[in-house]
Amino acid sequence: MLEVRDLRVRYGKHVALEGVSLKVGAGQMVAILGANGAGKSSLLNAIAGRIPTQGGDIAFEGQSLADVPTHALVERGIAIVPEGRGIFPALTVADNLSLGAIPERARASADGMRADVFELFPRLAERRAQIAGTMSGGEQQMVAIGRALMSAPKLLLLDEPSLGLAPIVAKEVFAALKRIRDTGLTVLVVEQNARATLALADFAYLVEAGRVTGSGPAAELRSDPAVVRAFLGGAMASET
Amino acid sequence: MLTTLILGLVLGGTYALLALGLTLQYGIARIMNLAYGELTLIAAFVVVAAFQAAGIPPLAALIAVVPAGYALGWVLYTVMMRPLVARSESRGRLEIDSILATFGLLFLIQGVLLVSFGANFTSISYLDRGVNVFGVSVALNRLIAFGICVVAAGALIWALARTRWGLVMRAVALTPGSAPLVGIDVNRVARQGFALGTALAAAGGVSVAMYQTFSATGGVVFTMKALVIVIMGGVGNVAGALIAGLALGLIETFVSTTIDPGLTMAATFLIFLIVLLWRPQGLFGRG
Ligand SMILES: Nc1ncnc2c1ncn2[C@@H]1O[C@H](COP(=O)(O)OP(=O)(O)O)[C@@H](O)[C@H]1O
Ligand SMILES: [Mg+2]
Repeated sequence: MLEVRDLRVRYGKHVALEGVSLKVGAGQMVAILGANGAGKSSLLNAIAGRIPTQGGDIAFEGQSLADVPTHALVERGIAIVPEGRGIFPALTVADNLSLGAIPERARASADGMRADVFELFPRLAERRAQIAGTMSGGEQQMVAIGRALMSAPKLLLLDEPSLGLAPIVAKEVFAALKRIRDTGLTVLVVEQNARATLALADFAYLVEAGRVTGSGPAAELRSDPAVVRAFLGGAMASET
Repeated sequence: MLTTLILGLVLGGTYALLALGLTLQYGIARIMNLAYGELTLIAAFVVVAAFQAAGIPPLAALIAVVPAGYALGWVLYTVMMRPLVARSESRGRLEIDSILATFGLLFLIQGVLLVSFGANFTSISYLDRGVNVFGVSVALNRLIAFGICVVAAGALIWALARTRWGLVMRAVALTPGSAPLVGIDVNRVARQGFALGTALAAAGGVSVAMYQTFSATGGVVFTMKALVIVIMGGVGNVAGALIAGLALGLIETFVSTTIDPGLTMAATFLIFLIVLLWRPQGLFGRG
């Protein structure tokens, strides 16, 4: 469904990605794991057309996404929940969700989708009239994910959905991701919480300093000694 | 007293309409349009010329002038503003660039108006018979001008608050950075907002032409008053602009009838200064 080949991203002289390739098959949940500064957000933002690339190619359903702006990607079925969430903090939860259904492709399914989102996150249903910016971090993350789902995406990109959340709230977010995965939606998720993510994903890529340094089915990576040492040891393990 | 109230409301309606257009252009397109009053004057002069030359009543002209205003705004944004937007990395840069560019546009339009219509004050007498309103005789043209403002402002406020289109406009005004994430083309919406603001300037111009005396060099006064109202109402606050506009019309009329007509501008700016010092976020802005 999504194929990234030899992607290069630079910020001025600073090289963030130097030749990253990956594949996401339809219906899969694929994880990108890596430490802070590895280039995970740059990868996701490049796929979503939010930053310019300096080489390589991104293809979605066989078509190149070069020069397709972010707003047009949403119409094609790619939704992103960026780092920092990108919600509309001054608007209500209900308005944020309605905005998710602005793309042409989402309008017919908006009511059904809203019901699904409220079932997934009952808190949003209770708080639909609340100004989104006044909610807790975890609730805002729910708004962001719910809004992305409202656009009836074929591919959902998530950038560290558990970042900065208290462990119990992060757990709730991962439970929601599991349910989203079980609906058959294709998901590409960036995370630092390797243990929780590998428990959900079908396949994972390990990213270090702008390169893919390993990849494999999530079940195999969970028991790979090198991965355990790098991502699942010590502090990481105690987080989940 | 009742006369002052009614005349003040009529004047305030025109101000409110003008302020709404300016606040749309600033809030959605991020352009501080110093040539706004000149755009109003173009519409006013066109209405007067059509009336004097061909006997076309202002109300009929309204139907053509407002869409023409929208089209002019569309072209201005595409030709003049879009390059500024494209090269500005920051919002502050765009504000400064747009102020300079529209300052130039102000003199360009003023020059064209002077050449085309001369420097004299102009007015028309159209439907100026008196109508009895709560025992006070008010010229029919003023009532119609007020009606135009009420309908246009009401429709705008309703659409912004209740329609999908309005939600998109508010989203872009409040958090433009997030808008592309939900498939909104910010550039397209900014162009629409600027064009709609110009259409409101044109509607305001029609209302000005119906009951006021104006000249080709007076556009800046409209811009200043609209700006004062926008800041008083809270930048980007549509309902605030409406209330502040009506209030300013009432205050000016009150000052000119009970104190001295020469003091209206002074009163306007005194209030403006007080608001700026005491509540810089506007009377109705969020603190
Ligand atoms: N806008 C930017 N300008 C300059 N450097 C950046 C920018 N964004 C990210 N970087 C740098 O690029 C590298 C990769 O960043 P990022 O993709 O955000 O990593 P991650 O999401 O894995 O933490 C880091 O070294 C970061 O400092
Ligand atoms: Mg990141």
